Amino acid sequence: MKTIEQKGMYQKFPRSGKDTRVTHYCAGCGHGIVNKLVAECCAEMGLQDNTIFVDPVGCGVFTYYYWDAAHISAAHGRASAAATGVCRARPDAVTIAYQGDGDLGAIGFNNAFQAASRGEKFGCIFINNSLYGMTGGQMAPTTLEGEKTTTTPFGRDPALTGHPLHVCEVFSQLQAPVYVARVSVADTKRIMQCKQAIKRLFEIQRDRKGYALLEILAPCPTNFGMNPLKAAEFCMNEMEAEFPLGVFRDAEKGVGGSRSCATEGGADAQERVPPVSATLAVKPVPRFSSCAELFGVPDGVDAPPAVDDPSVPERRFKFAGYGGQGILSLGICVAEAARLQKRHTLWFPSYGPEQRGGSASCSVVVSGMPIGSPTVEHPDVLVCMNQPSYERFVGDVKRGGIVIVDSTVPITKHPPEGVKLYQVPAIKMAEDFGVPKAANTMMLAALRAFKATGLDDEHLETALCASFKKKPQLVEKNRDLLHRAEAALAGA
Amino acid sequence: MSEEGNGVASHPEIEEDSCKGCGRCVAACPRKCLELKSTLNKMGVKPVGYVGEGCIGCGICFYNCPEPYALRVVKS
Repeated sequence: MKTIEQKGMYQKFPRSGKDTRVTHYCAGCGHGIVNKLVAECCAEMGLQDNTIFVDPVGCGVFTYYYWDAAHISAAHGRASAAATGVCRARPDAVTIAYQGDGDLGAIGFNNAFQAASRGEKFGCIFINNSLYGMTGGQMAPTTLEGEKTTTTPFGRDPALTGHPLHVCEVFSQLQAPVYVARVSVADTKRIMQCKQAIKRLFEIQRDRKGYALLEILAPCPTNFGMNPLKAAEFCMNEMEAEFPLGVFRDAEKGVGGSRSCATEGGADAQERVPPVSATLAVKPVPRFSSCAELFGVPDGVDAPPAVDDPSVPERRFKFAGYGGQGILSLGICVAEAARLQKRHTLWFPSYGPEQRGGSASCSVVVSGMPIGSPTVEHPDVLVCMNQPSYERFVGDVKRGGIVIVDSTVPITKHPPEGVKLYQVPAIKMAEDFGVPKAANTMMLAALRAFKATGLDDEHLETALCASFKKKPQLVEKNRDLLHRAEAALAGA
Repeated sequence: MSEEGNGVASHPEIEEDSCKGCGRCVAACPRKCLELKSTLNKMGVKPVGYVGEGCIGCGICFYNCPEPYALRVVKS
């Protein structure tokens, strides 16, 4: 009997002050697949006690919690510079830098490029997901032409922001690198090729051959705005068309020569890169009358500015759950309703480097007078959609406050004295109504039913509808769900 | 079901609370013997489950999974 299981990683990851067995990556993230392969190769080759990883800033920042080997964290973009120091100070060790397309492709490009040019003896793993993941999906140098990101909402226009940067093609122009290759983790075949390439990277370092660069195309479902399977397809179709896979240089095996790009992927790639035209014109972009319109934030109704009213006490909310449950939108709804009611209000999201797949929470403060701080340590109203968030925040609720928690959460901890607890089957109701994603709308219904917000029902409903401004077909659906949920809660 | 050697059939072992329900393994399984469950795990997502038969112990699900400990595969 044989078991196929993870090798080379710690059994538990002591993140955020507690032990966990899950990574911080979003569901379907390419980093996770690569992290597993790197740990496995390191362990299978018996190099764990002899490897120093240089960790980046970016989504890959937490690899030191996962890989059971030595680590050094570098400042943003400086992993290749730090790795230069490490590999020179410890020529007996295997040094591996792990960087993303913000870290290597943008701010740290010159560090990485010069290290490659000097032929420093370390291996560099470069994760290319065509955008800045951790900071929320902005354009990266590797963003494809026409690709929509938060900073290129109409698609990347080469006349305005340049062409995608082909890191492998550029690095394989240098004389010193002994290995330059591009692989992907979009499907099983590519994952197994990726493992072979990572092994090669380790081999080259183990044998002190010189500088090696491995670019890995990785899906980012969260920022592509796609489900994990569609994101993998995007990697295979769109990204590979721009960034062909292949070995650009493997000096020992005679692949690719010095200053030559004529290799498996390279020659092909050169043909595909369009010539830069002198007449490249910036495409006109649509005009918007306000920032709210441009970013599609809810402003369905014109709201008058807040009016000071000292008789309205400050009310503090915390919404928490699993990223992707609509926690942040629920908070926006309440804040928007407050705005419609001429209250002062602030909404403040909080999440780790992961955007989905970890805990997400947001704070909302509503007051009759100007608000000092948007952060909420002791909420009057706490809404929890999963067990970890309930356990984390329930002890903080103020006396006289209320806690609304989904019925799937076991009550392992009791709220403090004087705090009311409501268990609401939000997730189940949403499923029963045939719209599993609307669990947050169910929670809004509960907030209305329990008079938890101090805001008018009418404003809460208007705010809910405004939040679906970009998807008008969902407005009536959610209004209907809100009413049905309230009827169900009233009957319960 | 393939039963040989010590009589233990190949099968995946799933740590439900470590699964994020991305579905990569479900799509990649050549024998289509994985599916997302209808119940929620501790984090609030629907984790992967084994349908109970068909596993050949190839390990493709393990390599497609972005989580280190969500599943392991026992090969007969």
